[in-house]
Amino acid sequence: MFIVTSTVRVLAFAWKNFTRNAWIGLATIIVLILSLLSVNVLLGVNAVSDAALHELEDKVDVSVYLKPETPAAILETARSYMASLPQTQSVELLDADKALADFKERHKDDPKVLAALDELDQNPLGASLVIKAKKTEDYPFLIEALQNPQFSFAVESKTYDDNSASIDRVQHIAQTVRFVGLILIVLFSVFSTLIVYNSIRIAIYTQREELGIMRLVGASNAIVRLPLILSGVFQAVLAFVFAGGLVFLALVFFDPKLRILFDGADPGMLTYFVNNFWTLAGIQLAAIVALVALASWAAAGKYLKK
Amino acid sequence: MIILKHVSKVYPPDVHGLRDLSVHIKPGEFVSIVGTSGAGKTTLAKMLIAEERPTRGTIEIGGWDITKIKSRDIPLLRRQIGVVFQDFKLLQKKTVWENVSFALEVAGESRKRIKEVVPHVLKIVGLDEKAHRFPQQLSGGEQQRVVIARALVHRPKVLLADEPTGNLDTMNTREIIDVLKKINAFGSTVVLVTHNREVVNALRQRVITLSEGRIISDQAQGKYLLPS
Repeated sequence: MFIVTSTVRVLAFAWKNFTRNAWIGLATIIVLILSLLSVNVLLGVNAVSDAALHELEDKVDVSVYLKPETPAAILETARSYMASLPQTQSVELLDADKALADFKERHKDDPKVLAALDELDQNPLGASLVIKAKKTEDYPFLIEALQNPQFSFAVESKTYDDNSASIDRVQHIAQTVRFVGLILIVLFSVFSTLIVYNSIRIAIYTQREELGIMRLVGASNAIVRLPLILSGVFQAVLAFVFAGGLVFLALVFFDPKLRILFDGADPGMLTYFVNNFWTLAGIQLAAIVALVALASWAAAGKYLKK
Repeated sequence: MIILKHVSKVYPPDVHGLRDLSVHIKPGEFVSIVGTSGAGKTTLAKMLIAEERPTRGTIEIGGWDITKIKSRDIPLLRRQIGVVFQDFKLLQKKTVWENVSFALEVAGESRKRIKEVVPHVLKIVGLDEKAHRFPQQLSGGEQQRVVIARALVHRPKVLLADEPTGNLDTMNTREIIDVLKKINAFGSTVVLVTHNREVVNALRQRVITLSEGRIISDQAQGKYLLPS
């Protein structure tokens, strides 16, 4: 009964502190919102850059065109050898008929090319291999592996659709954004802690008379300290709710626009936040509450030591 | 009840608040501590509620050595010692009832207990009829009686009154002293810190006179010895 009574009173005192110092609290809440937004902007940019890199990497492959008369056994040797390499993600063997069908499809609007094909008695195209590596940096190795004497004589030509410059650029941008973002998060966290600490000290100052009387009449340190900490926690929760709302609005606004940049593909941002909603919300709420509680605890502790 | 042994207090760099003070106050006594400004009266009062700690010596209250009391135990001590100050220390936005019940609320007492205790202490100090007034609607003497009522809610063994009549006129001063005598008659030890000659002389109780941090006189039925 004592615990219930004390808990109810601590909550009541905390709520009173929270409402009484609403204007001081507003500054704290705004800084906390900025801290949370900086974290979420970083997460969003991370998700988009990951999606962009994935898209680019997906477009990289090596196409190996083999001579038309290459026997099927050699084609299979080339396919299985390339597929057996640990750096290889996939190998697709397109036979000559499929290569011809694809060629015709690509040039269906070019009657001259189609007419030239019709002039020929036989399929001028050979089979081809489309090889994808697990990592972009593995392509030079795979191209080197095509020198294998078991089938290198059958290779007519090869094309390497090299997007490595674009990949490097996106990686570089992503790293820069992450670095700047981390600095911003650290700065906002430090500012938030200092502002919360000082806003609690101001709250203590405005209530010094009441707190002094509480101590004089035998209030325990906990009953003096907990309402101050809890009013800070109320601010943190409010900031979390507002920041959550702003992040949601930003996602709804930016996702369709990013989708255009990604040629209709998923830019990854909304998906990332939806798929990780509970984890992200839980970690951010816990972190912001812990930060505010620690700052409030320290500020109240300094007062109680006097 | 209260035992001070060789208590000294030195404020840096070398200001002496108290010098080798030894006092024994028995349960149920009414003791006036008198002295001029800077004699050490308030330092002594602050030590009794652990707001100050002695530089040397020991302080014992009700068998409890509070010389090196831990921070977490101070609230327990303050529930055993009711404190009344000259400047009232009332919350102006709370009524008489709320000011008194506040001391019980912060100690985690139940509503039921608060409803029992508050009317009782307000009756002792004669303010049961003014329970719903705000401090600014009361006279100085009445405000000080609210403070005394608040100090009584935990049924303290000791009531420490530091210049409780300092801001009051003669009529209100008499009222306050009557209330303190009444509380003493109920069995509580009363320690009155004052420099009011008339009050001390009218009480005809034990008087400890301090000067420059030392006891210069301790009389069972004493008088105010210092020159005006």
